[in-house]
Amino acid sequence: MNRRTFFKFSWGTVGFGALISAVGVSLGAVVRFLVPSVFYEPPQAFKIGDPADFPFGPPTFLVDEKIFVFRDRDKGFAVASAVCTHLGCTVAHFQSDNRFHCPCHGSVFGPDGAVQHGPAPRPLQWFEVTLARDGMLRVDKDKAVPPNYRLMV
Amino acid sequence: MNLIHDIWRSIVRRDPLSTDKGKSELVFLNVWLHIHPAKVKKENMKFRHSFYLGFITFFLFLILLTTGIALMCYYRPYPPQAYQDMKDLQFAVFMGPFLRNMHRWAAHGMVVCVFLHMCRVFYTGSYKKPRQFNWVVGVVLLLLTLGLSFTGYLLPWDQLAFWAITVGSNIGSYAPLVGGQLRELLLGGHSVGEAALLRFYVLHVAVLPSAIILLTIVHFWRVRKDGGLSRPVWKLKAKTETLVTIGAPPAVAPLQATAASKDKTYGLMEVVTGKPIFETITPEEEEDTVFSYPYAFVREAVVLMGTVTTIMMMSLFLNAPLEQLANPAKTPNPAKAPWYFLGLQELVSHSAVLGGVVAPALMVLALLLIPYLDRNPSRRPADRKPILWLFTLFVVANLILIVIGTFFRGPGWAFVPPWVHVTGGVE
Repeated sequence: MNRRTFFKFSWGTVGFGALISAVGVSLGAVVRFLVPSVFYEPPQAFKIGDPADFPFGPPTFLVDEKIFVFRDRDKGFAVASAVCTHLGCTVAHFQSDNRFHCPCHGSVFGPDGAVQHGPAPRPLQWFEVTLARDGMLRVDKDKAVPPNYRLMV
Repeated sequence: MNLIHDIWRSIVRRDPLSTDKGKSELVFLNVWLHIHPAKVKKENMKFRHSFYLGFITFFLFLILLTTGIALMCYYRPYPPQAYQDMKDLQFAVFMGPFLRNMHRWAAHGMVVCVFLHMCRVFYTGSYKKPRQFNWVVGVVLLLLTLGLSFTGYLLPWDQLAFWAITVGSNIGSYAPLVGGQLRELLLGGHSVGEAALLRFYVLHVAVLPSAIILLTIVHFWRVRKDGGLSRPVWKLKAKTETLVTIGAPPAVAPLQATAASKDKTYGLMEVVTGKPIFETITPEEEEDTVFSYPYAFVREAVVLMGTVTTIMMMSLFLNAPLEQLANPAKTPNPAKAPWYFLGLQELVSHSAVLGGVVAPALMVLALLLIPYLDRNPSRRPADRKPILWLFTLFVVANLILIVIGTFFRGPGWAFVPPWVHVTGGVE
């Protein structure tokens, strides 16, 4: 390799490398730009009200939060997600068989959220429910808990 | 008088159309027409060869472009207003329902025609050398068409739109590794909401149309460079035709220099060595050619008018559906994706990963690779029976799945024939 080819080669490599990195950084910036830094969505953790307001027996369905609030005289509170794990439709709780039915593809979840029928790949999620300082029930959708999780009030 | 004549001659500089030179110049002196050749092969323009499906698709796209721009004047891509604007279009805007119907039916028509066009190209073997890559471009155009239709489906922001996109975008999240992130990027959030509506709008009115226009230009250019429409299969000879290539040394007799005819002139740009990549014509094929004006242009105009008329007639009598305002809390039962994704949804109802990710990925991959996997050089149907059956099987399987998903699925995705009336599930 003589001097000329050496410089040709090295300048070419440097130039090409700079170009590729510039393009790569730009593309990365574009992708990062498209990922929202702020989500204007309802918070994942929220208060759902006074424990005394929830009846015993059949679960209370909270429409906006898409959760079922269970209250048992002996065991206490539990909160289940109403979002089907298959394709995100909202499941309904049937009194008749005490199970969750998804209207989209016929998935059926048992009382503990386990898949009993249909294409759903995972059981329904259960969320942590705690007592806030002001005595309200607080649900955190970012904290999944096992189905036997209960909050005694 | 002279002034008007001068102005006219400055705009239209070609010879009169009664002359052959004028007919040629009409094509190659006009920026809009010069994608056409000056002469076309008569046999290639036969209806029973192409069914003009490519033209119909393109004209449907033009309808979509014009009606879409009109609809944009009354649409705000923001959740409650978007639905209000649909109601306005439906009841208050002059010709609003008609324009919306045209946009809707042309969109469905385009999905159908792109698919049928692909089938025609497959059955006539027109993806074979040298047109392999144009098939790939065509498959990408099919995907872009589906993308446009899918993004447009959300814009009315009614129950139908909301749940179709919720279900559809969740299918995507089953893609391994990146599925969930891709979905978040597409929706601009964790669920279908106002960010998703805005992103779908941007994709629908700016990103995807630009992409489809750019690729359509490539698609048309390549068709033109490859010698126009492919030769109809009935014109193919039994043995594989050896193409006569301009510049190739003649197999039998050396080229005879012929005396230049006095009424023909040639403008020669440059002489280079090497063979052209495109199809060239044999002397007997040359006799088959006619001037594009009026032979091809009249046909295209008729197809354009037929397409527009059909869509207009449909739009007079069939109304695009508009359901209640989107309600994230209340899933309609059954919730269905747009019809062309119902085959996919049917698969997904059996297995989310196999049906939602593996099957469609393999399908697209197979479509893209068809021209490279099919090594058989012959385009005659008699020579390629197995692959024709295979493709037919693919088409029929898709159709059956879509028909089942559309007509045979009721509440809870239970199998319900269309003639059985179901009134809500038990609770």
